[in-house]
Amino acid sequence: MKKNGRFMVGLVGVATVVTYLIWTGVSETMVYYLTPVELLERVEVDPTFHQVGVKVSGQVIPGTYRRQDGELLHIFEVRDLVDESITFPVEFRDALPDTFTDQVEVVLEGRLREDGVFEANTLLTKCASRYEASQEELAG
Amino acid sequence: MTLYVGVALITAAVLLFILQPVVKGLHASLERDDDELTDTEARKRIALLSLRDVEYDFLAGKLDEEDYRSLKSELTAEALAALEADEAARSDQGHPADGDIEAEIARIRASLKDGVVCGDCGFANDQGSHFCSSCGAALADQTVG
Amino acid sequence: MTLLGEFALWISLPFAIWGMVVGFVGGRTQRGDLVLSAERSVYAVFFLHAIAAAGVMAAFLGDRFEYWYVASYSNAELEFFYKVTGLWAGQRGSLLFWALILGFFSSLCVFQNRKKHREFMPYVAAVLQTILLFFIIVLLFAEVNPFERLGFTAVNGRGLNPQLQNYWMVIHPPTLYLGFTAFTIPFAFAIAALLNGRLDARWIQLTRRWILTSWLFLSVGIVFGMRWAYEELGWGGYWFWDPVENASLLPWLTATAFLHSIQIQETRGMLKIWNMSLVLLTFLLTIFATFLTRSGIIESVHSFAEEPKIMITFLSFMAAVFAGCAVLILYRLPQLRTENQIESFVSRESAFLFNNVLLLGAAFSVFFGTMFPLISELITGQEISVGPPFFQRVNFPIGLALLALAGIGPVIAWRRATKKNLQKNFSTPVMVGLVVTAALWISGAHHPLALTTWGISAFVVTVIATEFWKGTKARSRIEGEGYIPALFHLVSRNRRRWGGYIVHVAIVMMFMAFAGAAYNVDERFHVQPGDVVEVDSPMGHTYTLTYEGLSTARQNGLRNLLWQAIATVSVQKDGRSVGVLTTEKRQYTTQDVGSPPMTEVGIRSTFGEDLYLILSAIDDAEAVVMRGDSNAQGIDLQVLVKPLVNWIWLGCLTLVGGTIIALWPSVDRKRAATEPSVEPDAEGARAGAAG
Repeated sequence: MKKNGRFMVGLVGVATVVTYLIWTGVSETMVYYLTPVELLERVEVDPTFHQVGVKVSGQVIPGTYRRQDGELLHIFEVRDLVDESITFPVEFRDALPDTFTDQVEVVLEGRLREDGVFEANTLLTKCASRYEASQEELAG
Repeated sequence: MTLYVGVALITAAVLLFILQPVVKGLHASLERDDDELTDTEARKRIALLSLRDVEYDFLAGKLDEEDYRSLKSELTAEALAALEADEAARSDQGHPADGDIEAEIARIRASLKDGVVCGDCGFANDQGSHFCSSCGAALADQTVG
Repeated sequence: MTLLGEFALWISLPFAIWGMVVGFVGGRTQRGDLVLSAERSVYAVFFLHAIAAAGVMAAFLGDRFEYWYVASYSNAELEFFYKVTGLWAGQRGSLLFWALILGFFSSLCVFQNRKKHREFMPYVAAVLQTILLFFIIVLLFAEVNPFERLGFTAVNGRGLNPQLQNYWMVIHPPTLYLGFTAFTIPFAFAIAALLNGRLDARWIQLTRRWILTSWLFLSVGIVFGMRWAYEELGWGGYWFWDPVENASLLPWLTATAFLHSIQIQETRGMLKIWNMSLVLLTFLLTIFATFLTRSGIIESVHSFAEEPKIMITFLSFMAAVFAGCAVLILYRLPQLRTENQIESFVSRESAFLFNNVLLLGAAFSVFFGTMFPLISELITGQEISVGPPFFQRVNFPIGLALLALAGIGPVIAWRRATKKNLQKNFSTPVMVGLVVTAALWISGAHHPLALTTWGISAFVVTVIATEFWKGTKARSRIEGEGYIPALFHLVSRNRRRWGGYIVHVAIVMMFMAFAGAAYNVDERFHVQPGDVVEVDSPMGHTYTLTYEGLSTARQNGLRNLLWQAIATVSVQKDGRSVGVLTTEKRQYTTQDVGSPPMTEVGIRSTFGEDLYLILSAIDDAEAVVMRGDSNAQGIDLQVLVKPLVNWIWLGCLTLVGGTIIALWPSVDRKRAATEPSVEPDAEGARAGAAG
């Protein structure tokens, strides 16, 4: 039985280490996941929120995408998925994924600058195979 | 028109196929098959193979002598118990029980003590065998036991 | 044909219900006629689903744009190949495709066992029908019917997203589905064992091949997805810890744990409750993966509103399965008592247990991290997410520990190992690991995580190579064979063990590649035709790249292409010309107007590294493509060098080879049925005794 005891200690030890890793992992890498509406509200209430890294999901507004000539800079406008009147411009300085389209749903990570432009570090788009067309789109 | 025909044909065919056993009394077999090992046979198998494990772990240097001897006596006792359980189960089920069975058990006991259990099939060979009488494989050079 | 297919789907419903009911009743009452009827219903439902799937395919091939599904994922100009495979292009068709594959495996299982294992089969058939029934109900009643009509006929379909028009993306979902569904068979046998009381290792031995096959497909399916991402997403990355990837990783992790823990039950009669729970958990995770992959619950914030019906259906099913199995396990608790105890902290049993704890720990952290937004929303009302840094931080240490175990497990003794034999077996491999680490350090590699990975890799490879070497040498000496035939016979006499070792080597190869990413090179240039740039690789090579120019072609809708712009780059490696690479921008007709063009990358692969070229941007696409202005060929070129990345794909091939060896049938069926997975190696033992 003594041998079993040592064994249990080992297992519990591993479990503890894993739990510790998860705990610190979460607290050090967690990021608020907001809608544009929520982000703008937060920033109004708490101006220091401009410095906080956040994750935002929204939709690219058709017709607003353009690439800045001469530099690797993409500019487009994003609107809230529910309240389409709430929008803000986005700057993104990395390569665009091929899934990016004129009206794709995106998840951005970055911060909302004081000038109202969202500076994005990463950009994710909704997976192509799960995009479902609406009746209107199909009617053409 | 062809659609309705297709629909009717498929439905009828599937219905017939599925209900035929119930209607006509066709039965799927529910018997345990003969060549399947019983619980006790499987246990006996595993006990003999574990004994073999210990032999080879020792030969490969994974176990030292003290551990080897104590493990071996433990496992021999287990194997004998499993053997007897299996024989008891066989006679319970009405398998022909000869006087040969007793001799068989004695022989197996002896070969277990002498450690010439075959590496491949678990058959307990007579002492001094170099090749397994059951499957023909070469037996390990047993300089210990 | 399509109408026939739709009808076939509908009538599969009553027959699946029938099969489920008579399977359970027949098994309980031991009525052979009911059981036969249940088994036949398995074949029948598969037959009907095959007709349904054919119906969907016919709709694609016939350009039947009155169907929503066809109009959403196809158009008249789409290549034939993608029309045929349109069945699994989207959620609805995928669910039918899943049911089809499950039906195929169920039929195969029932057919294989029509004269065998009869105490299990009635319940196995019943359980399989129950799961199929669930998918049929989802397809028919959760608003995901592939036969749903638009109410009008669209003039043309939307077409298939160009990113999905790629070989890897076509075979990746089916391969994963093969893995997910194959695991249903062991699950069904586990339930059958709980119902009929045969709770020893029998149900495990019977399904060993299914477990291994499922694991194989899962592994390969995941790697196919990685290859697709690597080629198509244009970043040179292959794993992003995104919810969909994580969902497919979860059952793989638990299935790997299961593969190891069943060996303990087979030889020592331990961990019975653990194994029952693991098989249940893995099955639930495969259902969860389907559900997560094909609905949008994680990406969108506040997405409960989006597809409530299918979410509720899946979650209820999983809850019901969980509850039912929990009840059964509790009911059978007395018979699931362990037959033995762990004897030593230092033993193979112990190594396997640690392996399990680590794999489950990794699975838990991946699950937790993926579901964190939902969890935090439920608790705090605020959605909080964690990204790749979280997953890496938690899983890198776990991965390294598992890698080390992969070298410890094969050589440590069963029951108990003593200090002496630990020293004997591990001193050389540990030495090699340290020497390799030191050598790498001296040659300039200082990244701690990469160094650790490579050091441990060297350790594991030494252990396994020694096993092969000792075994081959001993056998060759004793049987008087040459080394090659000796090796062949050695492996063929214990395929599970040696196949497993090969798989361990494959995993090592892949970890080595992952560590190589620590030394990725990423440089960006702006070039005009004739410009020459140089990029150094961590392996010590220098690539000299000459941008030759941009050639454009207006395709006017051919293969859904509007235009292509192809950048040609000639490559020299260490001063020697090694050919030409191209990278392109493509604009498709099926993209929304105003969307940027898609990128095709150019890759040059060697064992040591990949040279990866990306045409990031064309200075003035308008001028060079539309007006043919040859003075406007300036581009942004991104050059990546990815050390060791091909060891991932090579590792995958090795994994397939090792698993096939482990799966290869033995001649003696009776023996094979009780062959424990841990046959010690006679030849190795003699070699050990000899020296």
